[in-house]
Amino acid sequence: MDSFTQRRRRDLILAAALAVIAACVPFFVKDVYVQNIMVLTLMYAALSQAWNILGGYCGQISLGHALYFGLGAYTTALLFTKFGVLPWFGMLGGGIISALIALALGYPTFRLRGHYFVIATIVIAEIGFLLFHNWDYAGAALGIDIPVRGDSWAKFQFTRSKLPFYYFALVFCCVAWFITWWLEDSKWGFWWRAVKDNPDAAESLGVVVFNSKMGAAAVSAFLTAIGGAFYAQFVSYIDPESVMTFQFSLLMALPAVLGGIGTLWGPVLGAVILIPMTELTRSFIGGSGRGVDLILYGAVIVVISLARPDGLLGLFSRRPASKGVPQ
Amino acid sequence: MSTPLLETRGVWQRFGGLIANSDVSISVGAGEIVGLIGPNGAGKSTLFNLIAGVLPPTQGSIWFDGKDVTHMPAAERCALGIARTFQVVKSFETMTVIDNVIVGALIRNDKMRDARRKAHEVLEFCGLASRADKLARDLIPSEKRRLEVARALATEPKLLMLDECLTGLTPLEAQSGVALVRKVRETGVTVLMVEHVMEIVMPLVDRAIVLNLGKKLVEGKPTDVVRHPEVISAYLGDRHAVGA
Repeated sequence: MDSFTQRRRRDLILAAALAVIAACVPFFVKDVYVQNIMVLTLMYAALSQAWNILGGYCGQISLGHALYFGLGAYTTALLFTKFGVLPWFGMLGGGIISALIALALGYPTFRLRGHYFVIATIVIAEIGFLLFHNWDYAGAALGIDIPVRGDSWAKFQFTRSKLPFYYFALVFCCVAWFITWWLEDSKWGFWWRAVKDNPDAAESLGVVVFNSKMGAAAVSAFLTAIGGAFYAQFVSYIDPESVMTFQFSLLMALPAVLGGIGTLWGPVLGAVILIPMTELTRSFIGGSGRGVDLILYGAVIVVISLARPDGLLGLFSRRPASKGVPQ
Repeated sequence: MSTPLLETRGVWQRFGGLIANSDVSISVGAGEIVGLIGPNGAGKSTLFNLIAGVLPPTQGSIWFDGKDVTHMPAAERCALGIARTFQVVKSFETMTVIDNVIVGALIRNDKMRDARRKAHEVLEFCGLASRADKLARDLIPSEKRRLEVARALATEPKLLMLDECLTGLTPLEAQSGVALVRKVRETGVTVLMVEHVMEIVMPLVDRAIVLNLGKKLVEGKPTDVVRHPEVISAYLGDRHAVGA
């Protein structure tokens, strides 16, 4: 067994151990407020894992993933309130719609390189926000209130306890992690990393760069929409402000950037640090401190890009963070 | 010579007012090592990129293995059996050496395990086996050149195109580079190499094609080509050609 297989096996065992520990935490932590933060942390870990597939592995930095998040939330909420479709199907539908839209948007935007692509993602997400903000059928600016029909797994509604949401978020996080783990040692995973590092060289080695990006975008958007659908059920009320703003796009990208972009563990590590931090400052400072969490994100970005461009995971590797001196 | 492996027929390339290639027709037979040489600005790299599929020619056609590939994208040409290296090395810097090569191997191997085995074989062949787990960005320049070749070879090409891969190396490194190219040819791969340093390529190639100012000047055995008055004048100026 070579070092590569050993490392992959070690990752898998570590993930399983962490999942078991995370599953046990609610037996000791009964505080609803803390449980709430734990649910959000797991959700953002999964969302950032999804973002990382396109942004980290394939190198296509998107700051518009709030669009897919919102599409997942709205599809689920609309199907349930207008047609009585169970959220599980809405979740799946939202994922598929998001993946298709990601492909449609990728078709023109993946011809753009670098900063131009990033700007395009921001603008497109903003257009999505404005469309939903003015779409009367979807509640326009007022949004959609998901009616409470009693606690049940079928309707994915729980008013008395947060634990079902916690366990769903945990499974979601594990699935997103496992998909990434699996993709890392697949044709697609190799293509994506090659496309990120050098698209010209990748093309010369038979990698169809455009298709690779499209694949990454579809998987990433699908998973992000699942997160959006979950969030709609979790908070049971959505409006464009609460699911489609730029802030969500940032919150999906930042854990990966903080923890280590394009790495398996980066998003999880980043979310575990960032999400509790922002939630806690928000509640401590209260109403007068609106926007302090945003200042924190800004500070995190500056510090990381100056001190650890590879992310916090770089602390654990033996290589220096900056470009190493050839031996 | 039967049908050549590679052929360009009356290829032109214009960049605005600049004519980089005018009416260039060359052919490369299977199993040959052909050198594409010429002074700076002769249009070697342009012709090279046209054959690799970076851009289509303004006029003319390119044929590979009996197929018209003039408008085929680079990735598809790679699948047909054209592999290339880059003059300015383009390693996948954040990936390990073995992972770099696996990317190339994936085009002929569907299973990761097969691609990995193939990549290890190629690294062994190119003398990079001991570097397999290093990050590409930690390699020294001569190793990066080897990695370029290894990655290209992993695609199991019929034609390997080397863009100045021996330029800028120490004499010793260039020597082992030459040995590697010979070894590649022994495995049945045809080699087309662009170089502008004559001393390195001349002993290596079976045939040399000289470009100057976008046109094909002469082609033939390297020993004949270097004595050709037009080649000498292209490299050294007219004054020297008179003496020859």
